[in-house]
Amino acid sequence: MSTPDLAAALEGLSLERTPWDALHGLALDVTPWDGRLVSLRTKDEVRASLETVSAYVVETPARFANAVKDAIQTAVPDLKTSEFSHLRRVVQYKYLPPHLQKSFYPPTRLPRGDEDTSPPSAPSQVSLELSSAPPSPSSIPTSPATAPLPDQEDGTVEDVSTEDLDTVRYFLLCPTRYIQHADLLDTLRRNPPFNTSTRAPRIFYVTVPGLAPTSQEQSDRWTEQYWPIAYKNTNPFGPHPSLVARNAAEIEAEAGTWLALASCAGTQISEAGFGEKIGCVVVDRTRGTPEIIAVAGDSRWRSPVGLVEEKDGCGNAMAHAVERAIAIVAKKRLRSAGKDPSLLDRSLFCDNPLTDVEQQFFEKANLPSNGYLCVDLDIYMTHEPCVMCSMAILHSRFRRCVIGKRMPLTGGMSSDTAKGNGTTEAAGLAHGIFWRPSELNWKFLAWEWKGAEGRGKERKQDGDIADTLQV
Amino acid sequence: MNPEEKAYHERFMREAINMAELALKSDETPVGCVFVKDGEIIGRGMNETNRTLNGTRHAEFVAIAGILSTHPTTVLAKTDLYVTVEPCVMCASMLRQYGIKGVYFGCWNERFGGTGGVLNIHTHKSVDKPIPVFGGIFREEAIMLLRKFYVQENEKAPEPKQKKTRELKTEILPMDLHAPKTETTT
Repeated sequence: MSTPDLAAALEGLSLERTPWDALHGLALDVTPWDGRLVSLRTKDEVRASLETVSAYVVETPARFANAVKDAIQTAVPDLKTSEFSHLRRVVQYKYLPPHLQKSFYPPTRLPRGDEDTSPPSAPSQVSLELSSAPPSPSSIPTSPATAPLPDQEDGTVEDVSTEDLDTVRYFLLCPTRYIQHADLLDTLRRNPPFNTSTRAPRIFYVTVPGLAPTSQEQSDRWTEQYWPIAYKNTNPFGPHPSLVARNAAEIEAEAGTWLALASCAGTQISEAGFGEKIGCVVVDRTRGTPEIIAVAGDSRWRSPVGLVEEKDGCGNAMAHAVERAIAIVAKKRLRSAGKDPSLLDRSLFCDNPLTDVEQQFFEKANLPSNGYLCVDLDIYMTHEPCVMCSMAILHSRFRRCVIGKRMPLTGGMSSDTAKGNGTTEAAGLAHGIFWRPSELNWKFLAWEWKGAEGRGKERKQDGDIADTLQV
Repeated sequence: MNPEEKAYHERFMREAINMAELALKSDETPVGCVFVKDGEIIGRGMNETNRTLNGTRHAEFVAIAGILSTHPTTVLAKTDLYVTVEPCVMCASMLRQYGIKGVYFGCWNERFGGTGGVLNIHTHKSVDKPIPVFGGIFREEAIMLLRKFYVQENEKAPEPKQKKTRELKTEILPMDLHAPKTETTT
């Protein structure tokens, strides 16, 4: 979301309390992080943006588009046009992207007098011989030849009624995996209009996006780069852009504060020696105003008896900040239900508050007992969580998640191979755990925080964490 | 696997099933596990998610919390896990971070399995060494335990679904329906 959009979205949103009110009265050194939210791409979105296929295109007179369509469908009975319904099926030369205009040039001209009004089924003297004679105005076909094509309503076949002098069309036949070139050529030659022509059909190879676009911007870009695209204002590979924008608008103004608070938790716990400088914050935003439910730092270096342990190996992985925050939420639910919050406690889980900031928010009785796990709650983390913690967030049914610094070598949330902030030659693990609805049993929205230019203080703190650390 | 090895692994999987049965009696998802070092059980665990209201209290976490209270983390590199259901994505990642020696499990977990059921966290690119896994020991018993649980109501879930009409199916599906899926992107 661009800044003006966000400003517009935030206008008219009257916050009864600012994020600062939630921190009111607490002696905390919390300066909100400066920056903005950028939604993480889902695993399927990344795949869709990278996957291209090779397809056949044939040049045909406009009024034979249907005949060509029938011919290919007969030759390839299992052709599923729904698989490439994001690609315009019939395209005029002038709407082709520049590189295709160049490689298809020159578009074949129909000879003078050829554009009769006989129906396409009737054998005609159509020839695709090149003609140097420019088409005369009288050559514009009239109604029978320009009747709307039957599958026009789904947007795949262009309306040919807006006629101009150029009556040649480029028909996207099918992805090349469906039929061999020789068989395709044979099929076309046995069918109109090519069965009456002495000249071979002009068949081209084009590279096209294999999957539908997930936004208007992407659709426009692909139309320029590959082939004219029909965008249906949906996102089959992730959350709908408007849903993401609406949610980002709701939390963006506060997110920097919660990240700063998470960072504060990390600082306190690392100063105590119990863990790395990593922290997270759980926020309830279901009641219109933000309520901080849990604050937790990493405590992998705390021994079972509460001492500082030597930093050797991975430490106590079960005491990562996210695991602890989830445990604190559970304890608060038990407490508000009148049950013993230390039920089945084990010291290794480190699920009691260990620092001032953790304690202050643990004491607040601000979580109803009737909730289920972390449904409807949001989680903010200084760093992208490891695969274990990413899945713990999914198991806990969180609603939204925001990560500070990406951890390409260990993180479980991001889906692409983009470089993280200030990391080396990292290329993400591509798990994208937050949104894999066909494989995992929950999904949620996820963003990363992009720091503002020239504001490096917090980011330097993040840099203390080694690339290879499991967060 | 020779009969001697088979008997060895089945002995410990039986212990894991005992833990899963205990979980079922406690109204918990019936998943149980034991950790074995040099032929000795050094830890036991069962699912505790319902009683703790914490969705991460899986059997593996519970058992390791016990083990590491008296052993250093490094003990896990010499320890095998026997668990009735394939470790989930979360537990698979945890086990790999700790460098577990090996994982033996009963049935695959098609909803969120992390060692072949859904994802392949045990072999996927990572900063940690891959972990060996072996599935299918007493698979049918592990499935039957889960089925017994799922015909009960889970009252803690939001808007409980009516399950009274559900029947306990005793027929176990053929292997191909519970075999690992192949992830294309590892």
